[in-house]
Amino acid sequence: MEKCLIKKDALAGIAKKMTENFLVWAPVKKEDNILFVPLQKGTEPFFAYLNSKNAPKNVFFPHTETMMKYTRTEKGMVFSEDENKAAESVLFGVRPCDAHSFVLLDKLFDQEKYKDGYYIAKRQKTTVISLACVKPPYASCFCTSVDGEPVSSEGADILLTDIGSYYLVEFFTPKGEKLVKYFGDTKADTAAETKKNEIAAKAKAAITSKIPAHVVKPILDKNFDNPFWNTIHGKCLACGTCTYLCPTCHCFDISDEVKGTDGVRIRSWDSCMFPMFTKETSGHNPRPSQKERWRQRTMHKFKYYVDNFNAISCVGCGRCVMYCPVNIDIRKIIEDISKL
Amino acid sequence: MQNPYIPYPVVVDKIITEVDTKDIKTFRFKFVNPEDEAKYSYIPGQFGELSIYGKGESPIGIASSPTQKGYVEFTVQKAGVVTSALHEMEEGTVMGLRGPLGNSWPLEFLEGKNIVIVGGGFAFTTLRSLINYMIHDDNRKRFGNITVIYGARNPGLLLYKDELTEWGKRSDLNLNVTVDKGDANWKGREGFVPAVCKEVAPSKENAVAVICGPPVMIRFTLPVFFDLGFSKENIITSLEMRMKCGVGKCGRCNVGSKYVCKDGPVFSLAELDKLTPEY
Repeated sequence: MEKCLIKKDALAGIAKKMTENFLVWAPVKKEDNILFVPLQKGTEPFFAYLNSKNAPKNVFFPHTETMMKYTRTEKGMVFSEDENKAAESVLFGVRPCDAHSFVLLDKLFDQEKYKDGYYIAKRQKTTVISLACVKPPYASCFCTSVDGEPVSSEGADILLTDIGSYYLVEFFTPKGEKLVKYFGDTKADTAAETKKNEIAAKAKAAITSKIPAHVVKPILDKNFDNPFWNTIHGKCLACGTCTYLCPTCHCFDISDEVKGTDGVRIRSWDSCMFPMFTKETSGHNPRPSQKERWRQRTMHKFKYYVDNFNAISCVGCGRCVMYCPVNIDIRKIIEDISKL
Repeated sequence: MQNPYIPYPVVVDKIITEVDTKDIKTFRFKFVNPEDEAKYSYIPGQFGELSIYGKGESPIGIASSPTQKGYVEFTVQKAGVVTSALHEMEEGTVMGLRGPLGNSWPLEFLEGKNIVIVGGGFAFTTLRSLINYMIHDDNRKRFGNITVIYGARNPGLLLYKDELTEWGKRSDLNLNVTVDKGDANWKGREGFVPAVCKEVAPSKENAVAVICGPPVMIRFTLPVFFDLGFSKENIITSLEMRMKCGVGKCGRCNVGSKYVCKDGPVFSLAELDKLTPEY
């Protein structure tokens, strides 16, 4: 595995250099938010960030995406598959929790039987560069409870770790190694690696928010009807913020849009928090209230995904905790379930 | 690799109005590209996404049998945006069809057994597919006795009336058609499906019941089969949920950790017992 060192102030320049050959998604300051956007001339990447407001899953699974196009003719509609326009891309500087989410989404979109070509094409053409959390950004971070670590290469092709005046750059995959040339030729010595390991251990220990994520699976298996589920949703506004900001939420809607004789079929993010999500034409709704919807969200992440893919579908980024307008806290929910 | 979200172009070849109320029609589709027919190789109990550009898609059980070559049929009630648009279609129109999707009636499990088919109302469609499959010359000897109990609210609401007449003439199929209430011309049986099941009293010996109908029918029919001694492993049914993608990704049709679109729609009662009762 290749390893090298780069000066800390060189990072933005490297990202910008890559735009000559790649579509480079990097964190950019937009008003009060940090968002991952494609770098263009004149936009400055901002790597001294805590975490981005949105999860960067939209790079592979956009909010809205065209699935096919069609044209009305006299004999009916003639359709064409939207040609896959996935560009060679670099996702530069994502946090390890978010990179972890890609591994989880792969399990769903890249299943053996049905492959989701839209997601897979973008994923295959994108090199993921993670930026380790040497100081855990928020008190609400709980990645270590859900199989993550603040300094982790999971889901990344390249990992950058701030070790003082340098970043240690580690190349984990052939896809990552193809970008070696952008990072110069200062080889990393063992001292740099030792330093990184110390920093990683320290960062891991600094994550103090813990949830019993693995403990709850057998409890959830047996407690679908527990009265506990009546206690979560009372204040939920069904705004869907938790699902939109979540790095692992993948539910989508498919809809048609027509203008004149042309139309598109698109998919857009949807949310299990919305009443219409499961409402059937007959009027029947298998999840008729916010109670069932919260049970679904919790079960999906901590039981159903484990049943289907042997992995918890939460990366501990804490976005849902920070941005819920009524302070519903998944950590508290899991804690309470562990005591059922 | 076939993109599972892209429909095959199909032409509406024939439209048959099934019921007096005219809101249930059978649509026969032929593939615009003949090679697509082989790709659309299905098993009774599977479903397809009927795709109308500009309107959307609707998941509907396949009503024809794979033994019927050259076309595929769906019986559709006019209900929402897509099915209403479908009902306005004319023969010759080109639209889309995705699939086949979902598991199927468990043909291998049914083989060599006596089959009891119980259907109610408009949910008879995939059962019709199964019946036509089993009674086909190539397949009939693979199955034991076949008993069919099919009910509708009134004679005008019975589907596939010509086929019912044909099936009634067969000696290798015990057909019992019933209506909740007959009319002046009705000479057949009257009574609810559960009561008729009790009367017909199919034997549990080496038998499997395949039941599909409105929830109220299922609720009262199941106890009859339990009384007859059928085990939960030997009662098979099919679920419906709101669906979009049909391939287990869009996240709305799960019952517990199973997706009805991908892992279902067909489950045995024993399997359903292991799932959460959220459907």
